[in-house]
Amino acid sequence: MANKVTIYSTPTCVYCKMAKDFFKNNNVEYTEHNVAEDDSAREEMVHKSHQLGVPVIDINGEVFVGFNKREIAKALGVSE
Amino acid sequence: MYDLIIIGGGPAGAAAGVYAARKKIKTLLIAKEFGGQSLVSPDVQNWIGTKSISGLELAQNLEEHVRSQEGIEIVDGDLVEGVVKSDSVFSIKTKEGKSFESKTVLVVSGSRRRRLGIPGEDKLDGKGVAWCATCDAPLFGGKTVAVIGAGNAGLEAVRDLFPYASKVYLINRSDKIKGDAVTFEEIKKNPKLEIIMMAETKEILGDKMVTGLKYLDAESGQEKELKLDGVFIEIGSIPNVEFLGDLVEKNQYNEIKVDHKTQQTSQPGVWAAGDVSDVLYKQNNISAGDAIKAVLNIHDYLNGVERK
Repeated sequence: MANKVTIYSTPTCVYCKMAKDFFKNNNVEYTEHNVAEDDSAREEMVHKSHQLGVPVIDINGEVFVGFNKREIAKALGVSE
Repeated sequence: MYDLIIIGGGPAGAAAGVYAARKKIKTLLIAKEFGGQSLVSPDVQNWIGTKSISGLELAQNLEEHVRSQEGIEIVDGDLVEGVVKSDSVFSIKTKEGKSFESKTVLVVSGSRRRRLGIPGEDKLDGKGVAWCATCDAPLFGGKTVAVIGAGNAGLEAVRDLFPYASKVYLINRSDKIKGDAVTFEEIKKNPKLEIIMMAETKEILGDKMVTGLKYLDAESGQEKELKLDGVFIEIGSIPNVEFLGDLVEKNQYNEIKVDHKTQQTSQPGVWAAGDVSDVLYKQNNISAGDAIKAVLNIHDYLNGVERK
């Protein structure tokens, strides 16, 4: 079963880029919302994560704040 | 048993890793991640040999350079929690429960952001309390924010916020701006900025999200409140030394005291370099150079060579 992955990011956020690079290297498809420009996505992110930091990563409904490679790899079922 | 364990993956750790591998020292490098504090910098323009590079690219280059060395072992995504010496062997334990032994240790664990230690700071962390203006400024579009601290980092945070925030307060505890005069003159011209001097921040207010802050106006002795959506805290750094306990001597800023010729600490077998040490200037290039000095001295030490 394919993972449903959404990342809320800003263009300047380094850990967002790391996360996206990690997805690409592991052939993980993802939807990206730039919360610096998209106000409704920003609200959705705050609603899901109860905070304002990026990245927020939603993997099949499980919400992660920040990019912790180990946790994300585990949730995706890929190796680090 | 390793000959050397390097603790940290910033410019100092990476430089040490490359030199240790090339000296064929049996080395393990333990780091949470590579790159150090410049990781989040959008543009580093003083890494010698490179006119301009993002912090992320610099981190990737450092990691790649270390990983390309033959013989070096790397544990990343983990943090050292304790270093204990017995019979001139160092035992190192990590957060993930791993343990390693080594003849020598190079501490290049850097520093982290100083916190205010006031009510609301922890509770509202990530909920309007922010630590990286470069990263998070775009999240405060049309909002009112405060930057606490008027060192270079504080002034640069103000500058990063101008394109997004509708109003920026710069809150400074003393009556002097510590940051560069050039940067200060530049930001002072922006009508979005309001500067509050002699203000000691007492509390960050808010329930689910930041709604304001309370400060003591040292001139009038009055407590005052500001309505805010965000607070950026830029009050300097503290060295990452907790995992060492009393193993090495530190100065009044909790920085590890080193002999600046060799980078040796007060504890035989332990060296330190970079921002965790009592080096006067905290710079990527200096950290790399000092760590290299340390590795060359460690190489001598392991070979029983004493140099004065």
